[in-house]
Amino acid sequence: MAWLVPAVLFALPLLAALGWALAGAIDPVAWQHLAHDPALRPSLALSLWVGFAATAVSLGLTLWLVTRVHGQPAWARLERSLGALLAVPHAAFAVGLALLLMPSGLLARLIAPLANWAAPPDVATVHDPLGLALIGGLVLKEVPFLIWNVVAQIRPVAQAERLRMQLQAAQAMGYSVASAWWRIVWPQLLPRLALPLLAVWAYGLTVVDMALVLGPTRPPTLAVLAWQWLLDAGEAANRQGAAAALLLAGVMAAGALLAALGWRAARGPLLRRCVRGDRPARAVRLAATPVLAAGALLYAGAIGLLLFVSVASVWTFPALWPQQTTLDAWVLVAGSLRSVGVTLVLGLAASATGVVLAVAWLETTPAAWDRRAAPLVFAPMLVPGVLLVVGLYRLALALDLDGSLSGLWLAHSLFTTPYAWVALAPAYRGFDPRYAQTAQALGRNSAAFLWRVKWPMLLAPIASAAAIAFAVGVTQYLSTQFVGAGRHATVTTEALTLAAGGPRGVMAAFALVQALLPALAFGVARALGRAQARRFGAGHEAGAVA
Amino acid sequence: MTPTDTLRRRLLTAAALAPLAAPLRAAADAAWPRIERAARGQTVYFNAWAGSDRINAYLQWVAAELGKRFGIKLEHVKVGDTAEAVKRVRAEKQAGRNADGSADMLWINGENFLAMKREGLLFGPFAEALPNFVLVDAAGMPTTRIDFSEPVAGLEAAWGMAQLTFYGDAKKVAQPPKSMVELTEFAKRNPGRVTYPKPPDFHGTTFLKQLLLEAAPERAPFYAGASAEAALLLAPLWSALDTLHPLLWRRGTQFPASTPVMRQMLADGELLISLTFNPNEAATEIAARRLPDTVVSWQHAAGTIGNTHFLAIPFNARAKEAAQVTINFLQSPLAQARKADIRIWGDPTVLAVARLPQAEQALFAQAQVPGSVTQPAPTLPEPHASWVEVIEREWARRYGQ
Repeated sequence: MAWLVPAVLFALPLLAALGWALAGAIDPVAWQHLAHDPALRPSLALSLWVGFAATAVSLGLTLWLVTRVHGQPAWARLERSLGALLAVPHAAFAVGLALLLMPSGLLARLIAPLANWAAPPDVATVHDPLGLALIGGLVLKEVPFLIWNVVAQIRPVAQAERLRMQLQAAQAMGYSVASAWWRIVWPQLLPRLALPLLAVWAYGLTVVDMALVLGPTRPPTLAVLAWQWLLDAGEAANRQGAAAALLLAGVMAAGALLAALGWRAARGPLLRRCVRGDRPARAVRLAATPVLAAGALLYAGAIGLLLFVSVASVWTFPALWPQQTTLDAWVLVAGSLRSVGVTLVLGLAASATGVVLAVAWLETTPAAWDRRAAPLVFAPMLVPGVLLVVGLYRLALALDLDGSLSGLWLAHSLFTTPYAWVALAPAYRGFDPRYAQTAQALGRNSAAFLWRVKWPMLLAPIASAAAIAFAVGVTQYLSTQFVGAGRHATVTTEALTLAAGGPRGVMAAFALVQALLPALAFGVARALGRAQARRFGAGHEAGAVA
Repeated sequence: MTPTDTLRRRLLTAAALAPLAAPLRAAADAAWPRIERAARGQTVYFNAWAGSDRINAYLQWVAAELGKRFGIKLEHVKVGDTAEAVKRVRAEKQAGRNADGSADMLWINGENFLAMKREGLLFGPFAEALPNFVLVDAAGMPTTRIDFSEPVAGLEAAWGMAQLTFYGDAKKVAQPPKSMVELTEFAKRNPGRVTYPKPPDFHGTTFLKQLLLEAAPERAPFYAGASAEAALLLAPLWSALDTLHPLLWRRGTQFPASTPVMRQMLADGELLISLTFNPNEAATEIAARRLPDTVVSWQHAAGTIGNTHFLAIPFNARAKEAAQVTINFLQSPLAQARKADIRIWGDPTVLAVARLPQAEQALFAQAQVPGSVTQPAPTLPEPHASWVEVIEREWARRYGQ
């Protein structure tokens, strides 16, 4: 029954907060208001389109890129850069991307002399009615996340060796590398990507910050509408927002169920196709390098523009260089170093808690329970933040924890734990059980095995799970504002409260600091991973497989 | 509630009901030193919109002064939207937290005030018992006592004034349009370079109300509640919008989210005209080097809509005394003059400056700086609050989706 402990520690506050949050959503009047709101249909349709398109394109690109690049020299570079790409917070990335794409953005300024534009073109390059800018932004953030998950699946020593042998065997039988991936590797890997894909789908449906910066405005996505209603000063609007959020969660679950049923139905025919034994001719293939280069350029452009805009004051179109520059924004950042300290302390505490709970669950609970726990684990990712946060605030009030750092630590841990769990599960579950048998045979007790063998060997995935949890903790806004009663400023609350008034330079500077902290965490995680790789050298790995 | 609290409350209520009744006034005054004594050592958590680094810097100055003068610690709780704080106070009330609330003071007006007043989430009445209330220009600025047609009733204290103001770069807007008719003409000559924030954004709704007051043959009906004839009375607004929309940014199919967004679009050159409720906004933005110094501000010749923003104390505030002392200080000529200074914030005062002693009047003296309004226009009062919902609903139906 020991395995119940981490589950209960995580589930109790979560269920309490959810209960409080959803209590507002069972008001029939709110549902009536929602049903009669003229914005409901178009915004729900838009949300479905954005969520579906972002998931489908992200998955397609991921499959294609991994198939194409794995085993090439570019693969190592791609693998190395994943941490940095994941570390860029969604909101900061969206703002940088908007600075690149918007009508007065860098791209338009570059084109302006050729097109003879004196003023920015009156064209919706961001906030476009079809949501293409939002889908693009989501895809750029989700593809690294999905590739990172693929890497997590094929990186453990045993899996990597199996993959190598399978690809080798397939090639020996005359299949091209691509055919080998499509017919042998992906059918094994795809089911294990179900949870990350669910996260991508859910995120595309419920995202608010990126949708505000890049998404359509008339109407906005349903998540944005729900967020606006939930934040409204009036209680009737709040309840309508809670109903909309619940509807969105239902749509999300229905979509996931449909996908699962579709997969079950399609699996048989697909697998039969895989084993029919033909050797398709090598088709003309698109080169992956330009795609990777374009992605890298967009990331570099977005971050570079944030840096540039943080020192630009007056910068009229179509000038490429600002008429005036200023360090005001950075002076302001330097003046609020306390918020950086609070961010660091909270982020570290919440990510440590998340990792400890995840490890405790994975160590003590049978793997079969993962699936049953999934709805609970995904709840904090799927239920719109505003809704959950209001419930959490009620909980904090009841426990007299509001306004305190310990309350914030608990609230943030609720959000960091599921991410730590999702990040760690593949490596932890993929750990070769023969190590435990060997240790036992050598007369080591299980504590010694964990401390001296298993955890040191899993140091890299544990460190990167901690880094991801840290990044999630750092970007918390609403939970920080509500549970902390606004008394503990973090770099994220500083950035977002300033964003309300729009001094762009200051916002860009804080967005950069917000991106820098997780980047540091990923850097540390990578260094730890390297140190571990040196300790358990190649000979050790080979020995393990033999 | 202690007996003295009840007594004070009764006195304050009486003072609010009859501000000119001298004996009661004196009784309230006598209570003030006691409030100041109790305030010493308290911490005031001031929940205030923090979207402007200049306003945040002004509040840091206020915090330093309060510490020096009254031994009060002022903490600026930075919120992106005042509704966040309203929700927190409401949740506290529902959770039975009737004392020791998380907020001691709010920066508030309009619908947030209305919601808190209706739900009994505010402490008071206190505003008209503050010593500095007598300096407020309640007669000259009726909006200091009526917030969006809702009687303030002493539940919030006037802090600053606002009046709908337009601004644009004089290099591109040689002759600023001084009426909605002229604005439409300007949009005809410069298609796609004029717009307004999407209602129900508060500035967007104000733009519609301004257009309504200018387009309607008669204004009087809009100062009474919206009646069955509303559809008929609003017809001039929709016909004016039908003319204007095809000339707007994105041909009126999209609208910016807020005025800060519009300000940035103006700075980038995407828009030629933006709007604000702070007549000194362009001037302060020029001073902050975020707008070019060729930007000028103007108001429509026949007047524009004006209102007031306020300070309130939640019913469950922990530091009610210190919050009152803080609000009284924020209404003092010293703090109001500094707030009105364009180099600091540029928020117009609520005080009757002409009634102040000479030395204090001098604090408000200001040189004309680039970007400020050169010919101030009369203030039009806000239409009755019931019109807001009618206008917003009909706008959403016609142009919203």
